Amino acid sequence: MKLFTQMTKMALFAASISFAGASVAAEAMNLDSLLKTLEEGKSVQTAENKQREQVFATRQNEQVQMLKDTQAKRNQMLVESERLETQFEENEVKLANLTDTLSKRMGSLKELFGVLQQVAGDSSNKFATSVVSAQLPGRSAFMDDLAQKMGSTSKLASIEDIEKVWYELQREMTEQGKVSRFTTTVIVEGGNKAEQEVMRVGAFNLISNGKYVEYNPVTNTLSELTRQPVSRYTATAGDLQNAKSGVVQFALDPTGGSILGLLVQAPDTVEQVHQGGAVGYVILGVGLLALLIAIERFVSLLLVGGKIRRQLKDNVARDDNPLGRVMKVKDDYPNVAYDTLELKLSEAILREMPKITRNLTLIKIISVVAPLLGLLGTVTGMINTFQAITLFGTGDPKLMAGGISQALVTTVLGLVVAIPTVFIYTLLNTRSKGLLLILQEQSAGIIAQRSEKGE
Amino acid sequence: MVLLIDSINAIRDFLDTGGQVLLVIGVLIFAMWLLILERFIYFFNGFRSYKKDVKNTWTTRQERNSWNAEQIRQAMISRASMRLNTNLPLINVMVALCPLLGLLGTVTGMIEVFDVMAITGTGSARSMASGVSKATIPTMAGMVGALSGVFASTYLQRKAKREVELLEDSMVLDH
Repeated sequence: MKLFTQMTKMALFAASISFAGASVAAEAMNLDSLLKTLEEGKSVQTAENKQREQVFATRQNEQVQMLKDTQAKRNQMLVESERLETQFEENEVKLANLTDTLSKRMGSLKELFGVLQQVAGDSSNKFATSVVSAQLPGRSAFMDDLAQKMGSTSKLASIEDIEKVWYELQREMTEQGKVSRFTTTVIVEGGNKAEQEVMRVGAFNLISNGKYVEYNPVTNTLSELTRQPVSRYTATAGDLQNAKSGVVQFALDPTGGSILGLLVQAPDTVEQVHQGGAVGYVILGVGLLALLIAIERFVSLLLVGGKIRRQLKDNVARDDNPLGRVMKVKDDYPNVAYDTLELKLSEAILREMPKITRNLTLIKIISVVAPLLGLLGTVTGMINTFQAITLFGTGDPKLMAGGISQALVTTVLGLVVAIPTVFIYTLLNTRSKGLLLILQEQSAGIIAQRSEKGE
Repeated sequence: MVLLIDSINAIRDFLDTGGQVLLVIGVLIFAMWLLILERFIYFFNGFRSYKKDVKNTWTTRQERNSWNAEQIRQAMISRASMRLNTNLPLINVMVALCPLLGLLGTVTGMIEVFDVMAITGTGSARSMASGVSKATIPTMAGMVGALSGVFASTYLQRKAKREVELLEDSMVLDH
């Protein structure tokens, strides 16, 4: 209403302006004429209002009629709903009676269907993981469907379904007792697929081309194990595949593949050596050094030993071996007293000693140092482990176990280097001691014998 | 024949449960006992005749008084001592290596245990058992080897020493 008055005001204002404009253009319009116009307008409006009122009055009757109609409709609906409600209640009672009858009539059959559902569910799981499924795929899908069907109350199993369950169970049982061959796609080394003859040994193992094959129940694929077991086990797989009849020895994994599966994850020797880290490489380097020195020593001691042995049989002192050089002392000083000769001899022996025992101490040091280095690696590995514990807590034994195996590898490397080194050192030491003994105790004796013979 | 195959299979199984280190220990103990037996046979058989020869050479010698004679006697004793002591240091080292190898087996077995732990977690004691057997059996074998060898090697060393002393005593210098 307020808006309306404002609008009229504005209209009036606009009108007065236009009148002012017009008065400028033509004659001035006076206020009386305006008033007159207003009065006329008023009378027109009143007439309109009256007409409107009349229309409203006639319409009111119509409204009353409509209200009556609607009320009648509502009453009708109420009656209808009451009727339906009673029917619903009646139906419910009927339904309850019928369900009662159904369960009474099913009686012991209900138990049977329960067992059927359970068996279907169980054998679906068994079929999914059984290696027999590699040969006969898609058996668990039927079992799954059946179990689901039995789970819903409205459906019953048909005799065909029940007989199929029986058949599948019997088939699984029969197949588990068989060694059978079939051709299928196998993922071979390098990820390529190949059509191959696969042999299934009961419910335990699958082999193909003399290699153990793994069955993946999720993707329903066969793949060769990337790491095969020891050759004498894989050899039995080859024997079995080549055999046409008779009894063949075969190494089977009674867990149905899980032990073989672990085999793939276990690190091999080279990977374990790399686990040793920097300390491990140092130990290996030191061991290699010891080995090289030992080889050099072995060869030279062998040569020197051979020459000395030849010298022992020979009367003439030669210059190419330690014993010969020592014996030469006697020739060099033919006319000295015995005690002087002894002094000269021991001097000559002392001169020969470093050449024979050269580098032996180094091998001995390495044999002692290698286990110590191993211990060092162990301790650093344990430090790493404990750092992992500080960061991640003890919750994950896998995290810790990795570090611990790392620590142990260095100990192994230390021992692996130390044990042969000790062995080699003893051999070399015995040999060089023997040579020195020949020089020390026998050179004098040999000289004495010679001189006696000469006399 | 069946008995032989059975025993070979039993040994194979034992070696499998003990791991590769056990094989090394087995070879080492075998070699050690071969050397020990060789020494025993030599002490009670070969060395006797050699000793007689040495004594004969010494007693048939006219002159047993001079520097020359003393040196010759010394050389003879030293030769006998060398013969007696052949392989004795090797046997000793083999005895010492047995427990070391056992330790090696322990550590490699423990590595296997921890590898299994790294893969499967601590839950599966059964899969760890193979590593534990690989850790303990070589230790036991190393101990057995060392204990069996240590008495023999001590006896051999004492015997060798005594033989040398007896030889020295029997070869008298004239005054």
